[in-house]
Amino acid sequence: MKSFINFTKKEYMEHFRCAKIFILTGVFILLAVMSPLVAKFTPVIIEMLSESMSQGGMEITVSEVSAMDSWMQFFKNAPIALIVFVLLESNIFTKEYQKGTLVLALTKGLKRHTVLLSKAFVMITLWTAEFFMYYGLVYLMNDIIWDNSVAENLTFSAVCWWAFGLMILCLCVLFSVIAKTNIVVLAGTGGVVFASYLVGMLPKIDRFMPTLLMNVNSLIYALEEVSYYVPALLIAGGISVLSLVLSIPIFNKKHI
Amino acid sequence: MDMLTIKNLKKNFKDKEVLKGLDLCVPEKSIFGFIGKNGAGKTTTMKTVLGLMKPDEGEITVAGKKVVFGQTSTNRYIGYLPDVPEYYSFMNASEYLRFCGDITGLSKEETKKRSEELLELVGLKDEKHRIKGFSRGMKQRLGIAQALLNKPKLLICDEPTSALDPVGRKEILDILLAVKDETTVLFSTHILSDVERICTDIAFLNEGRVVIQGKLGEIKSTYRTDEYIIETETEKEVAILKSSFPHLQLTGRTTLTFKENQHDFYDVMHFITTNKLPVLKIERVEPTLESMFMEVVQK
Repeated sequence: MKSFINFTKKEYMEHFRCAKIFILTGVFILLAVMSPLVAKFTPVIIEMLSESMSQGGMEITVSEVSAMDSWMQFFKNAPIALIVFVLLESNIFTKEYQKGTLVLALTKGLKRHTVLLSKAFVMITLWTAEFFMYYGLVYLMNDIIWDNSVAENLTFSAVCWWAFGLMILCLCVLFSVIAKTNIVVLAGTGGVVFASYLVGMLPKIDRFMPTLLMNVNSLIYALEEVSYYVPALLIAGGISVLSLVLSIPIFNKKHI
Repeated sequence: MDMLTIKNLKKNFKDKEVLKGLDLCVPEKSIFGFIGKNGAGKTTTMKTVLGLMKPDEGEITVAGKKVVFGQTSTNRYIGYLPDVPEYYSFMNASEYLRFCGDITGLSKEETKKRSEELLELVGLKDEKHRIKGFSRGMKQRLGIAQALLNKPKLLICDEPTSALDPVGRKEILDILLAVKDETTVLFSTHILSDVERICTDIAFLNEGRVVIQGKLGEIKSTYRTDEYIIETETEKEVAILKSSFPHLQLTGRTTLTFKENQHDFYDVMHFITTNKLPVLKIERVEPTLESMFMEVVQK
């Protein structure tokens, strides 16, 4: 446990000193601020355009903006947030293989599974903190500008997205212990998501695919019950745990 | 007692047979020079000892304990300095040693005390910059400090001096000499003058096998040749000597060589003294590691 804490301390120190944590926080704050801003100003822009268009005979009516529009924007921006996160974190293992920095730590008797669990822990805690900061900021701004009560199942919807991100990160860990380069990690993780997306197009199976968790519009409009999302949520959780469990023996046998 | 024993170690990389049944014994408290050409298998052997690489065959023990690939509990007896040590460059030297102490399980006080001692030993005590800006020599010195942190029984250094300038090399060799009472040192190299300077024991690795192994002095005397060189003042003495000892060979204007089985050394000496021949030099040819190495490699 002591070596886990110490290795985790090193990981966080690296995130701070290499400014990764600041870049991630900056991106998440920017995306959070953009959600209500885009929702608020889109009608203004459209209205300005509609004046010129009405002279040409086209009439555009702008509907009333609510917190719902901002939440729609929030979920539209969530993939960008996840992609940025994965791009920045996907080299957490491969960078150490390429530089050879793990060699000295491992020859000091540090257990390989400690390294793996510590890195996974850092990725998960960072993703959790950044994502819920993103969610919290949008919630706060929407509440100030409009009223959040128009949207249903907000927290559950956010948890769905968070769980999807968590699964992606655990897949990243799995591909990081199999592959040696960052590109393979990204390609492997992306491949699994794409395959899940394709399978999700088939009727009846779609509700069991983790990619369903990316599409929560019907939850906030209360068109679907929470229970509809539970199987996909559980499967995403299962894949996350399985990825980590599988990673340990593979990492133990890896030539470093 | 042997600190490290390797028996019949074999390792292939695809079609290439790198280690072909390597046997090695490193005695306790020795400075052991592990000599071989580039690509002879030195690094592969060391990585296998550290459990970083899986051997195809063979058995390795460190301090009497068997090495198991992947689960390297024997590494607690070992300090390792790779040929190009890589550190977390966002840390400074003392932060890195603290990190090493923490993951090795040393107490805070012990890590602090030992770090200060070692940074003093390797001359990085006042270095506050991050490792990112370190020169190669500084990185090697920090490498020795981290390797010695937990007072290992065996210090393994993979070509510690190969990439350094003469000053850097001297510093590293001096440090290795200074720690010889604390630990057994195994270091691989192809710089033979470094071996002659500090090693007590050596092993020559050639084509995946250890071809010579033992105490440096004993090996040198085994390979000692019985060849002599005589250098005279003028060519006149050369002619006198040649007339009495026909097997003397002229290798320079005033230089002659002969072997013990051609003429008795004392007969030649006696002749020189009775005839009062002026000579500049009489020398028995000492085998150099280089000549031994070349002989072994070419066999």
